[in-house]
Amino acid sequence: MTSYGPVLRITHLYPDLMNLYADRGNITCLERRCAWRGITPLIQRLEWNDRLDESADLYVIGGGQDRQQQLASQGLTTRNADRILSDLGDGAVMLAVCGGYQLMARRYRAGDGSELAGLGVFDAETVHPGPDVPRCIGNVVCDWNGARLVGFENHGGRTYLGSSAAPLATVVRGHGNNAEDSTEGAIAGNAIGTYLHGSVLPKNPHLADHIIGAALARVAPGYELEPLDDSAEWAAHRAALRVVGLR
Amino acid sequence: MPLRRPTAALAGRTAGWLSRLTRRGGGTAVSGLVTSAIDPNFVPASLQQLHSTVTVTGTNGKTTTTAALCALARAAGQPILTNPTGSNLERGLAAALLPHVNLTGQIRDAPNLRAILELDEWAFASLAPTVRPRVAVFLNLFRDQLDRYGEVDRTATAWQDAIDQLDPGATVVANADDPAVVAVTRHHRGPCLYFGADVDRDSTTPDAWADVRRCPICDGRLEWDRVVYAHLGSYRCLACDFRRPQPDVRIADFHPHGLAGASYRLTTADSDKRIEVQLPGLYNAYNLAAALTGAHAADIDTDRAYAVLESFQPAFGRAETISAPGVTITLLLVKNPTGANQTLDLLHSEPEPLDSLVLLNDGVADGEDVSWIWDVEFERLNPRRLFVGGLRAEDLALRLKYAGSAPQIDATEVHPGITPALDAALHAEPVASGRRLIVLATYTAMLDLRAEFARRGWVDPYWQSAA
Repeated sequence: MTSYGPVLRITHLYPDLMNLYADRGNITCLERRCAWRGITPLIQRLEWNDRLDESADLYVIGGGQDRQQQLASQGLTTRNADRILSDLGDGAVMLAVCGGYQLMARRYRAGDGSELAGLGVFDAETVHPGPDVPRCIGNVVCDWNGARLVGFENHGGRTYLGSSAAPLATVVRGHGNNAEDSTEGAIAGNAIGTYLHGSVLPKNPHLADHIIGAALARVAPGYELEPLDDSAEWAAHRAALRVVGLR
Repeated sequence: MPLRRPTAALAGRTAGWLSRLTRRGGGTAVSGLVTSAIDPNFVPASLQQLHSTVTVTGTNGKTTTTAALCALARAAGQPILTNPTGSNLERGLAAALLPHVNLTGQIRDAPNLRAILELDEWAFASLAPTVRPRVAVFLNLFRDQLDRYGEVDRTATAWQDAIDQLDPGATVVANADDPAVVAVTRHHRGPCLYFGADVDRDSTTPDAWADVRRCPICDGRLEWDRVVYAHLGSYRCLACDFRRPQPDVRIADFHPHGLAGASYRLTTADSDKRIEVQLPGLYNAYNLAAALTGAHAADIDTDRAYAVLESFQPAFGRAETISAPGVTITLLLVKNPTGANQTLDLLHSEPEPLDSLVLLNDGVADGEDVSWIWDVEFERLNPRRLFVGGLRAEDLALRLKYAGSAPQIDATEVHPGITPALDAALHAEPVASGRRLIVLATYTAMLDLRAEFARRGWVDPYWQSAA
């Protein structure tokens, strides 16, 4: 029964800084859904001060607080931008959540007017309107590729997409990127940015498999993802719809 | 406006009485709400009449520490006033003060009365400048209900502002092992007393869900000689002078007895004694050490302290035991990753796997964001049989699925709601003497469960036990 399936190299960017809101649930999800199919996930943690010396097929970065986000921004732009951008250009996949999503856009302007440089993966920028403006907090449901995504958002910054950016999804409930234009997240090539926590992947197994499938496409072309029994995943997905009065 | 105080007090008491009469609740929240609405200055003005005020705040352990401090004060013969129902916002304080107010709005026996108050993290930040505590106890700072409080650093900043406004004569009591706490309390202009644990758990890396990894002062690299749990331990910054202060009260030689309690040495400048306590877990050892340190700081006579701590009983839902027909139920409140992981640690130290019921709600008081369960190491849960319930039972079941391949977890029974899940757990096998059931529940799930127990006659209704 042991088969040597493909190996997927997953790099978790700055889990020591960007680990708020249990985004490591996404890593757990990717790890398990690969392992259940005989795909070997090789998970590498890139911590503060580390330099990436190996390429990855899939990059994951979670949310963080303002200060940690500053440190992560420094680490990304001064040490690791080239590797990540060249891997993405070469077809690698990325999932960037909340603060991580903000760092992968062009720039982040904090409430005090200071600016953080992003990697520019997404043509978007984020403005924090300051501590007196309410944060965007609550359950989110959005439309994605004819299906739905569910999650929970909690962000002060408002993200505005540039002319060459495409939103990931359309908001049905909640705030999304900026509470104004009904967009949620961004998509650029194989990179996905989103504000959804939850953790987002376990209760959106279609998104999880979309990401795994896209990452495998360059490692093992033609490899077909074996379907899994996702009844528990869809039950949690429906519970999140129920909370906001949808079915 | 001289009549405002007595009017506010009278209206608040009437509202509380009506609430209990109509059995809508314990009556504390509504009476306090009415009082503070009529006289916004009621709480600070009342507290300033008293002998002194001690506040207890932090993410975890507030209710237990406050109750232990009260027990120490009572044993020393001190008249006290407290908010025992865990109602730790301003309205809870108003409700606690009401029974002590006479018809002219004055506090009876005010010069001898000490207030020992549990305060929510943000209630402390907003009330401390007017309440002016003589002793302020800081337990710990962990991620908790991020949907309500925003980020953890924001709480630290709010505490810092409140500490800057404390009287220089006030004493700050703080957890030496928590770098997030020490970073803010060390700025206090007056005396600081510290408690800490000299406990080696063979780890020098903070847990994955820990909130502090770098120096909170300079962002430099923080190194731990040992980690007790989460980010608590013995640490120092490699770039600046920030390091764990020497504790004045220390826990050493810790031996857990599962859910039944623990034994350890509590050492102060002039005493060193091994105690056998009924409160389980290292997290409760911190709470009792905090209470003892707080008592020293408040000049409460601690001659009988060790005996008091040994006989101290768990607070509401904190490893509380309920006897039901054919089964003994242990209730464990879980609110955030650190608390939940400590509870799992506790179950791990039990000699054999137990039947377990886990209840997850997503009310405002639980946190509407259930993401936090992905920071709980359910991989370590090893129950005999497992039942899952609550308003977000399906999210919990999914977390357990990803936690691992243990056969108990595959056989999980999922029952959205409280009563169906309880019944499934109770009826899973015939009633037998000596059967035990462990319940882990979030705050509103615990309230709902206790209401169900009361309907079945297993506990007193809330409005009676709280009155």
